[in-house]
Amino acid sequence: MYTPDEVLKFKKPTEGFCCSLSDNKYGIEFLEFEIRDYDTSKSVFKISKSDAPDLSKLSLEATNGGSSVEDLVRTVRYKLPKEFLKFKTVRTLLKFCVGPGEVPSFRMIERHYYKGELLRNYDFTFGFCIPSSTNTWEAVYDMPVNSQEQVDDMIGSPNEHTSDTFYFVGDKLIMHNKAYFQYV
Amino acid sequence: MGLLTVIKKVKAKEKEIRLLMVGLDNAGKTTIVKNLCGEDVSKTSPTLGFEIKTLAHNGYKLNIWDVGGQTTLRSYWRNYYEQTEGLIWVIDSTDVRRLEDCKRELHKLLVEERLAGATLLIFANKQDVSGAQSQEDLLKALELDKMGERHWRIVSCSGVTGEGVGKGLDWVVEDIAARIYMFNN
Ligand SMILES: Nc1nc2c(ncn2[C@@H]2O[C@H](COP(=O)(O)OP(=O)(O)O)[C@@H](O)[C@H]2O)c(=O)[nH]1
Ligand SMILES: [Mg+2]
Repeated sequence: MYTPDEVLKFKKPTEGFCCSLSDNKYGIEFLEFEIRDYDTSKSVFKISKSDAPDLSKLSLEATNGGSSVEDLVRTVRYKLPKEFLKFKTVRTLLKFCVGPGEVPSFRMIERHYYKGELLRNYDFTFGFCIPSSTNTWEAVYDMPVNSQEQVDDMIGSPNEHTSDTFYFVGDKLIMHNKAYFQYV
Repeated sequence: MGLLTVIKKVKAKEKEIRLLMVGLDNAGKTTIVKNLCGEDVSKTSPTLGFEIKTLAHNGYKLNIWDVGGQTTLRSYWRNYYEQTEGLIWVIDSTDVRRLEDCKRELHKLLVEERLAGATLLIFANKQDVSGAQSQEDLLKALELDKMGERHWRIVSCSGVTGEGVGKGLDWVVEDIAARIYMFNN
């Protein structure tokens, strides 16, 4: 099992998932995630738990596509409008709830890659989560300045921008999600 | 109002400051944070955990932790004291009935060792409501005479109109910055 220090050294996307769904012993569930342009407040992506795909349908697709249900439920495919690549500042909002027990120290590490190379890393410690609480985290990020050439390259390379998101409680990895980005 | 102008972009290398926002439920904590972020303050719902906002202010990256104030949640506040550089205590200045409660909870925080070095800003909120207690009256009622070395200040404000909110935040950030970033500016 990987620790925060180890995942911080990862130089490329992981092959598969580094933990299993059952490692989430704390009942942590994501309820909402939204990405907005900071300057205009325009929302470019929003997903809430109620929009989540139906598991029974997923298992059908899974058997056809060859990947397991476990993998499908923790893979997100983002289709973002291409203006996103020109945003100067982005605001993200994450809402999650936790189960009936205390969560002593919750931390997220997210690593972004483009064509297999590390682009950037986000590391945030939420710390303690109150039993049965619903929590939100709103963050503001400066985006890298992309040249027109880079923008065109990213638009022309769907799913080459990927991320691995690791969630830890203390030193213990409890969730791992993957994302693929395409710009349209 | 100009509050939007105080929030600038967060730069990667910015110095971080951790602020903890507490007070009784319904004091107006979430409304004040929303106002600081230039958001619509007309709808807040009770905070059933924490709401963290990161925003940039005068060259500092602020992480504001707004933690719910219901009786059942108060015993968990202590889990957020570690590394807190600034404590923002919000009072509903119209809630005379619970002033005694408010005083007791605030005094509990003041004796916390892990908060001993934290700058304290007290927001006397809801000043837009007629009949709200003045900050002088509140100070008397809260019996804040044994503050020792602590850096603290009370500021009248309204989370709804935004009056006083930016002034309070400016003060707390400046005070903390002078204390912790004095040598590496
Ligand atoms: N009139 C007035 N109402 C306020 C003010 N600040 C908050 N409120 C209202 O007080 C209620 C509780 O506010 P909220 O921010 O959720 O309180 P919290 O529990 O401390 O986070 C809401 O109905 C707000 O609209 C203020 O400055 N003036
Ligand atoms: Mg609240």
